[in-house]
Amino acid sequence: MRFMQVAATACAVSALAVAGLAAETAWFPRAAGATETPAPFTPPAEDAIPAGKFGDEVRLGEQIFREPGEHAAAYVGNDLRCSNCHLDAGRLAGSAPMWAAYISYPAYRSKNGHVNSFQERLQGCFRYSMNGKVPPLGDPVLVALESYSFFLAKGLPTGEKPAGRGFPALPKPALAPDYARGAQVYAENCAACHGADGLGQSADGKVVFPPLWGPRSFNWGAGMGSIKNAAEFIHANMPLGMGGTLTPQQSWDVATYIDSQVRPQDPRFTGDVAETRAKFHDNPNSMYGRTVDGAVLGDPKVTPPAGTVPASKAEHK
Amino acid sequence: MDRNTAKAHIHVMTGCSNTSAWWGFVGMGGWMSRAGLALTLALLAPAPVFAGDDPATGATVAMQPGSSGRPACAACHSADGAGQADVGIPRLAGLHASYIADQLGHFATGVRANAIMAPYAASLSADERRAVAEYFAALPIPAPVDPIPEPVAKLDRGMALFQRGDARTGLIACTQCHGPNGVGVGSFTPRLAGQSGPYIAEQLHRWRAGDIRDPRGAYMRAIAARLSPADIEAVAAYAAGLKTGETIENTAGGKP
Repeated sequence: MRFMQVAATACAVSALAVAGLAAETAWFPRAAGATETPAPFTPPAEDAIPAGKFGDEVRLGEQIFREPGEHAAAYVGNDLRCSNCHLDAGRLAGSAPMWAAYISYPAYRSKNGHVNSFQERLQGCFRYSMNGKVPPLGDPVLVALESYSFFLAKGLPTGEKPAGRGFPALPKPALAPDYARGAQVYAENCAACHGADGLGQSADGKVVFPPLWGPRSFNWGAGMGSIKNAAEFIHANMPLGMGGTLTPQQSWDVATYIDSQVRPQDPRFTGDVAETRAKFHDNPNSMYGRTVDGAVLGDPKVTPPAGTVPASKAEHK
Repeated sequence: MDRNTAKAHIHVMTGCSNTSAWWGFVGMGGWMSRAGLALTLALLAPAPVFAGDDPATGATVAMQPGSSGRPACAACHSADGAGQADVGIPRLAGLHASYIADQLGHFATGVRANAIMAPYAASLSADERRAVAEYFAALPIPAPVDPIPEPVAKLDRGMALFQRGDARTGLIACTQCHGPNGVGVGSFTPRLAGQSGPYIAEQLHRWRAGDIRDPRGAYMRAIAARLSPADIEAVAAYAAGLKTGETIENTAGGKP
């Protein structure tokens, strides 16, 4: 349990607070729904970023990670941030933390059939999750993100699979995941922030709650387009700050609902939906090419384009 | 105002049930003297004449006492909706109309337990609550008053929590739901920037103690559980000092 070491003292500390005694030291209550796992790795604190050129690169990497639309505009084609899914700016265990990703590369990926460097893996994020353009290897954006991830991974052995890597595995649901049940879960637990239409919400010109589908969300090639990935992420981390409160069944159902919506085209689209499904989506976790509400998901007639970086931003990198 | 006195004021304002009688007495004196003065002024003022339909209804509720003995909202929340930040009376001007109306409804039904607000809210019809909510929502956000001076270290801690959260405890940043600099997002999250610090702190203390307060209070209860009492005071002080400036339009991409 993440906060087991302090949970036992929580009641005592609360009692002190009620008694009017100052409890000035931070105490760490039990995380709602936290499960019994080995203590995850703790990345270095933010104030441990060193001075100098390398530290500058790390800081830039974190800025890109938090606000890619501002600091990597030439490559971002939607309204998402890296930190929307990699929570706590890539630090949080169970939310695909960057420290665990960094030490996992180079690695073979079935997605493209060869050994990928870490930078090539980052390219995939821009191509799919950010529905943008791929920064060339060695591009300052990739160097900064690599530096930030390297910094976060300080002290982790390479090639291991540390606790907290990726998303926590979720048991298969008792009932087959269901779109209609998912719509109900969405309305009750997600729509207040992400909108009933899934398009997110903005304030003061900035996206606060990211769009989950539609033209400004991730495209059909993104990892979050996999119902399994989305269910695992949702169960561990959503609603934000209340991870673990949805049941596994609810998580599978709502992931199915979200991943059955219209979103930008897969950049690998061959020109034919059925063929694209056969080549890239031939598994039960993808709804691409399936018919939902009378429309075929991925049909170019109803599907926003892939790679929508405004020309003005692409020129001024 | 020292911390204990401030706390006493707030406990009175929110009707917190576990407050000692002594605190309640001290707080009541301080609060009633101010509110009483404002109320007297409101009663002495000539009854304003309003033209129009819904705005007049809202303005009437806001500015004139009700036949049930309810004081004008403005008696405590001020005619410009600024509230009284130092004693924890929240600013209403510029909050989302749906948010204000929802809270009035929760006061009226007791979902949000508050001894002061409950009878006032219950004396209003749903239409009146909606109208007065729209009235205050439409008021320009008043220029911020000088915040209560606070130690730099406390404000720095508050800023860190507000803007970044705390990865060690799984605490998300306030801005992740309340928007950049806490401007609020549609009807879902209220504006925090420039809100009364004692008011924010009291709400957080109540959530931390397990209060749900409203149907969406489960979110805030989970968050407040990750804050120490000192962190609550720090983050509230920081939010209170955020400059609000002119009204910033919120855009909701999602339909309600």
